[in-house]
Amino acid sequence: MKIERNTLLVLGLVALVFPLLVGNQYLLHIGVMVLLYAILATSLNLIVGYVGEFSLGHTAFLGLGAYTAALLSLRLGWPVWATVPVAGVVSAIFGAAIGAITLRLRGPYFVIITLAFAEVLRLIANNWVDFTNGPMGLSGVAQPALLADASPLMAKRFYFYLALALTAVALYMAYRFVYSNNGRAAVTVRENRFVAQSVGIRPFVYAMRAFVLGAFLAGLAGGFYAHYITFVGANVFGFAFMISMIIMVLIGGKGTLIGPLLGALLVTLLTEYLRELQELRLSLFGLIVMAVVLFLPNGLMGFLNHRREPGERDGADRTAPGTQGGTA
Amino acid sequence: MDMLFQFIANGLVSGSFYALSALGLTLIFGLMRVVNFAHGELYMLGGVMGWLTTTVLGLNFFAGLALTILVMGAFGWLADRFLIERVRDQGEEPSILLTIGLSIFLTNTALLLVGTAPLNVEGPLPNKPVFLGPVVLTELRLFAVAACAALILAAHLVIRYTRLGRAMRATFQDAMAARLAGINTARVYASTFALGTILAASAGMLLGSIYSTHVSAGGLVSLKAFVVVILGGMGSFAGAIVGGLILGVAEALWGGYISTGTVDIIGFLIVILTLIFKPYGLFSTQVERA
Repeated sequence: MKIERNTLLVLGLVALVFPLLVGNQYLLHIGVMVLLYAILATSLNLIVGYVGEFSLGHTAFLGLGAYTAALLSLRLGWPVWATVPVAGVVSAIFGAAIGAITLRLRGPYFVIITLAFAEVLRLIANNWVDFTNGPMGLSGVAQPALLADASPLMAKRFYFYLALALTAVALYMAYRFVYSNNGRAAVTVRENRFVAQSVGIRPFVYAMRAFVLGAFLAGLAGGFYAHYITFVGANVFGFAFMISMIIMVLIGGKGTLIGPLLGALLVTLLTEYLRELQELRLSLFGLIVMAVVLFLPNGLMGFLNHRREPGERDGADRTAPGTQGGTA
Repeated sequence: MDMLFQFIANGLVSGSFYALSALGLTLIFGLMRVVNFAHGELYMLGGVMGWLTTTVLGLNFFAGLALTILVMGAFGWLADRFLIERVRDQGEEPSILLTIGLSIFLTNTALLLVGTAPLNVEGPLPNKPVFLGPVVLTELRLFAVAACAALILAAHLVIRYTRLGRAMRATFQDAMAARLAGINTARVYASTFALGTILAASAGMLLGSIYSTHVSAGGLVSLKAFVVVILGGMGSFAGAIVGGLILGVAEALWGGYISTGTVDIIGFLIVILTLIFKPYGLFSTQVERA
């Protein structure tokens, strides 16, 4: 807990000075994308890592947030300060509705029904032309007014700090959630549902809270995405985003707060680095997912924790059963 | 009104393909408790193999189908022995993730090698229309439906009456007892996965002879197979067949009377409604809800 908090603070400080040291727009853009994905991975991690159910439909909330922000900005002319929080709230409302249905199911059923919701939303976004502009998407989402006569570099710096602020909000909320009674109850449910029920934890209630918080954070990220990219199409509901988020959470290590950040950083850099190999990249991602499942089931954080405190983490002990005695 | 019978006939034709592809999925789930998210990609590979053998190599359709079944069966066997076996008995989540990774890898590797162009499978019969009362179908479609029915029947007979089928059912009931009785369960699991792969791949090749196929078809097929399996009940043979036909007819009617652009939505609505009101499907007998 302490190590996690201190690492997060150090990472935050590094991120805070990063744009001042770097005067390169391209690097700043990568920085912004890392932060955007960090929010998304953190929000997915709340469901995968703390509810213990695997959602393939998390892009539903990213997409809802992005469309909400884009529509509010284009149709009603709302400023970015209003659209992004409202995008989060709209996503959270949908999260509560979708969660009320989906969280009654578990295992493969949960995976498929969440995927079905994301697909239904994608089909609606693609076919309801009057409202969402269909396959043409919504372009020209407004930039904040104070960037009207700023230089491109300053604009990138502005977006970087905006993304950093949102990431800080997301991590703060995730941190408070994870180290509250809510988070501990969610972990109990994840580890053993029946024990949790026998001590009076209602799995559905805690899963629901994590789900709604995850939806809210993904909605914030979606709202930011709409303003930063200035274009929203039905691809925000697509599987490509979902794949990236899954890989980030898995590589970093689910059920830790730093893991998804590490994953977001690694995968975004890897994506940029492999840009030359555009088509090969996704094949490699498929191999990476399989390799992580087979060889690194708890992600990089699981590996590091296991190295740092052997025997204290029973989650990582599948590889070294002999050390299990230390926990008892 | 006169179009109604035509829509139903078209729905039953596509429904029989849904049934065949869903059968492989339900078999793998029912016998192995593995939720195979790469199922649509196995179907896609069947279509690609069909294109490779008939159009590129110029083989006859039946030789192509036999070769496809052989190659995909071997592929399924190896996939089980090298990947799925390593996460066996670790619960559902690792196998879900593993097959998602496999599906990402297969789709994108196929895209890289074959490209996005539509792939034609040469059918064994000409596309001549057949008039059955008010309904028009083509010979090829009737042949494909018959082939689907034959494959479903063959799978049923294998599971019901062969030594391997008995071993499969024994392993499904109690893997430990099956091992004690001298059944090599690792081989049974691999055979089951190979059988499921063959069913998916032959559905892909048959459908590729009617409509052309393309390498990114896998995702949607996976989803539809899941729709069918959830509607029919996971692990249920009859459920997969009935579910497939229901989905096919429902889509044809929706496309005919409401709108063609949103046909795919019907499957997801079926999934959402089934999971809310009858979460273990129409034909499921087991109750394992926690």
